[in-house]
Amino acid sequence: MTRERFISEVRACQGRLRRFLTSLCGDSALADDIAQEALVRAYVSSDRFIGNFKAWLFRIAYNCFIDNLRRVPTPSAQLDSPEVLHVADGSASDASFQHEELRRALALIPEKERTAIVLHYFEDLPVKEISSIMQVPSGSVKYYLSVGRDHLRQHIRL
Amino acid sequence: MKDLEQFLRDNAPETPEEGQFLLETNARLDAVEGIKKTVDGERRRGRIALIVALVAGIVIGSGLALVLTLYPVQSLQSSALSKILGKLQEWKELIWGLIAVCSVALGILFMKKKEVAF
Repeated sequence: MTRERFISEVRACQGRLRRFLTSLCGDSALADDIAQEALVRAYVSSDRFIGNFKAWLFRIAYNCFIDNLRRVPTPSAQLDSPEVLHVADGSASDASFQHEELRRALALIPEKERTAIVLHYFEDLPVKEISSIMQVPSGSVKYYLSVGRDHLRQHIRL
Repeated sequence: MKDLEQFLRDNAPETPEEGQFLLETNARLDAVEGIKKTVDGERRRGRIALIVALVAGIVIGSGLALVLTLYPVQSLQSSALSKILGKLQEWKELIWGLIAVCSVALGILFMKKKEVAF
């Protein structure tokens, strides 16, 4: 893939990519750093790319997000853990989110549930595409969506 | 259930301006191109050095094999030269082996597809 084509593909889907990562991280600056890292990784291996560019880029970005989580360990994601609630309550708000409550609720649910919820409801992706991005079976995605909704409901007052 | 789903769909985060982000992306891609060029250059130089060494091995080995074939030890008057040739005669198999190894390695090197990844 030429650089021009790569840039034009990136231009077309960078907004959705950054929104996906912002929703996962809850911090748009960190999301942009991860997005840049993902784009560099994608560009380096773009010669071997075949298929759906957006799904491929999202998969790389998701892997970068997971790598980032491993590099910067967070307190264990126990839903009712007081430390986690404290961290989430004390973390700075992000202007990208219209509802701070939603950002905090997403931060409180496990990463796989958060990813499935974000891809399905924010990015409007079908289960099959989500399963290819997360590299898990479709049944697992449906499970994450269902459990994720239950967990979110505990933290969001509608 | 529907309320939560609708709430999620209606409240997706917004993304900031793309201008700065794309500028930074271009700068990083420039850096990647630079590193890629350096790595490719080093790889090419290494490949050339290896080819030169293998060709030298084949040429020297063939030269020695030719000398051993054309001038048998008994035919030489000079004792020093006959000693050297005598030693080489002992290593004859090794010399043929060296030529074979260099030829095979050179063949593999030329057949191997050039890799771009780094």
